[in-house]
Amino acid sequence: MTSHVTPDSAVRGVGSDGDRLDPRHSPTPPPAAATPAPRPTKRARIRYNRTESRWGYAFVAPALILFAIMGIYTIGYGLALSFARWNGFSPNWEWVGFQNFTDLLFGSKTYAPRVQAAALNTLWVCIAVPVLTIAVSFPLAIILNSAKRFQGILRSVYFVPYVTTGIAVYLAWQYILEPNGAINALLKALGLGSLSQPQGFLGNPDTALPTLIIVLVWSAVPVAMLLYLTGLQSLDTSVFEAATLDGAGWWRTNTAIVWPLLRATTGIVFLLNLRDALQGFQIFLIMTNGGPGNHTNVLGLETYRLAFLSELAPTLGLASALGWMLFLAALAIALINQRLEKRAQ
Amino acid sequence: MVDLAPAPTARRAPAASPYAPKPWYTRVFSLSGKTVVGLILALYAVVSLYPFAYMVSAAFKTTDEVNAGNNLIPANPTFDTLIDTWNRLHFFDYFLNSLLVTGATTLGVIVIYSCAAYAFSVLRFRGKTLLFRLFLVLLFVPGVVTLLPVVMLENEMGILGTHLGLILPFINGSAPLAILLLTNAFNAVPGDLREAARVDGAGELRIFSRIYLPLARPALITIALLTAIPTWNEYQLTRVSLNDPTRYTLPIALQSLQQGDTVQYNTLMAAALIVVIPIIILFFSLQRYFVNGLVGAVKG
Repeated sequence: MTSHVTPDSAVRGVGSDGDRLDPRHSPTPPPAAATPAPRPTKRARIRYNRTESRWGYAFVAPALILFAIMGIYTIGYGLALSFARWNGFSPNWEWVGFQNFTDLLFGSKTYAPRVQAAALNTLWVCIAVPVLTIAVSFPLAIILNSAKRFQGILRSVYFVPYVTTGIAVYLAWQYILEPNGAINALLKALGLGSLSQPQGFLGNPDTALPTLIIVLVWSAVPVAMLLYLTGLQSLDTSVFEAATLDGAGWWRTNTAIVWPLLRATTGIVFLLNLRDALQGFQIFLIMTNGGPGNHTNVLGLETYRLAFLSELAPTLGLASALGWMLFLAALAIALINQRLEKRAQ
Repeated sequence: MVDLAPAPTARRAPAASPYAPKPWYTRVFSLSGKTVVGLILALYAVVSLYPFAYMVSAAFKTTDEVNAGNNLIPANPTFDTLIDTWNRLHFFDYFLNSLLVTGATTLGVIVIYSCAAYAFSVLRFRGKTLLFRLFLVLLFVPGVVTLLPVVMLENEMGILGTHLGLILPFINGSAPLAILLLTNAFNAVPGDLREAARVDGAGELRIFSRIYLPLARPALITIALLTAIPTWNEYQLTRVSLNDPTRYTLPIALQSLQQGDTVQYNTLMAAALIVVIPIIILFFSLQRYFVNGLVGAVKG
């Protein structure tokens, strides 16, 4: 999502040409086409038109001002806090250098094991959610694409999980996952009573995390399916005509031709879901709050708990440090993805 | 050989549309294939709607019935639970609060970031690339990192716990996606239009509002939806910043309802239904723009 979006006219090595214009130039500036950026050397240069520049800054100003207030301050504050120890109430911060980071990773006997357990759970979520989302949405998109009637209605119905994602639908999931809930009843009715969970799916430590993963996949499938569907509809159909003439069946056509052609879509779906799996924690906060017994604790939730749910313990710096590690991980994944994408092209 | 040859053609002929060549896949799904396809599609429709269906079902049940079992169709459907939740539990007030926060946030995002995207897409000024990349990197800052500093900052500014204290960080949080999507949309507008308008003497504001904004309408609606849906459902920042129950938005009201001791599932699901219905209506009335805009955003 981040690649190929650089504005075309923006150039890296900007020279001093922008100031060279006469400050008393005519009030009606020449059209931009009349001053094309000359590119005499390898380093491209841009001539900045004063009026246009001013408009440029004026148009960006509201976004920048808001960012300066809400963004720069909070990011700077969070970054500083990650090197300090503070409980949120005492007047002073105690500067501890990188100790928050080392405490979280291995140093502290209380926090490191919790973080490691949460990291393991996060790892499961990060692998399972993108993989399962792709495994469901790719075939679903192919099948939906082949449906002639009801395609529009079905697409709308499939989008309900995305639209309703949030506390309301998580509470509905909780309701049907209860010990006496609809899922257990359904399993018994289907003769699969051995799969039902007397403690409820979220109450059993062994089924809680897989259940949440399934709910996450359920929420993630709509957008992924839509992306695959548009990918499919933009493919050149003559390829399939040829494949069918050569005797390739349905399975072979989709695995050997469609799947490789949609690799870029798969990359986007994977990256989007990986980022959400790494940082998201709302569903864990609402549906299990990390329980039972920390079996569904993930790094995002651990950060939130350290920041807001640890009473007077001086854990705010730890929370900040953990959050920044999540940021670095997400950025690293995005950069690796961009590199791979470039190599693939 | 002679016997076999006409058979497939004869079978294929009546199904073929007289107007268009058959797509490649129709050949693959013959009679039995069609049934399998229909079954899979219907099954996933059930999966998609399953929790929602039980939400609706419980919302129309009486307390006795919701405690008795899991039948999907209520025996004596009643509007009482919904009406009760709407009036006595003040969900009408929470609804108005949510409407205010979501509306103001969406409007702010559209106004502020369409301007910024116009600058990033069309205008040339120093530092543009750097600023653009700065906003994009924000996409990867986890919300949880800035949650605490935002609370601290708003406490100092005196807006913690107010609706403004929610709207400002929500707008700022939508910056990366809105700028990315709208810049892509403006990039798709032919530059000749702008040149022609300039020759006719139109200024930047006029070009922006009369040419670029109307042409980018699908992208604007997409961004409005991509902002409104998460803002309507926002829970994390709202939960840690709102203390005054009269300012609660719907998700927080729902959560405090859940934490009450005596609440029954029919009331809880009625409240949940009140939360999701507006967003479902909004989404389906604007869906066609959303699909195109989202695809454009990701392809850019």
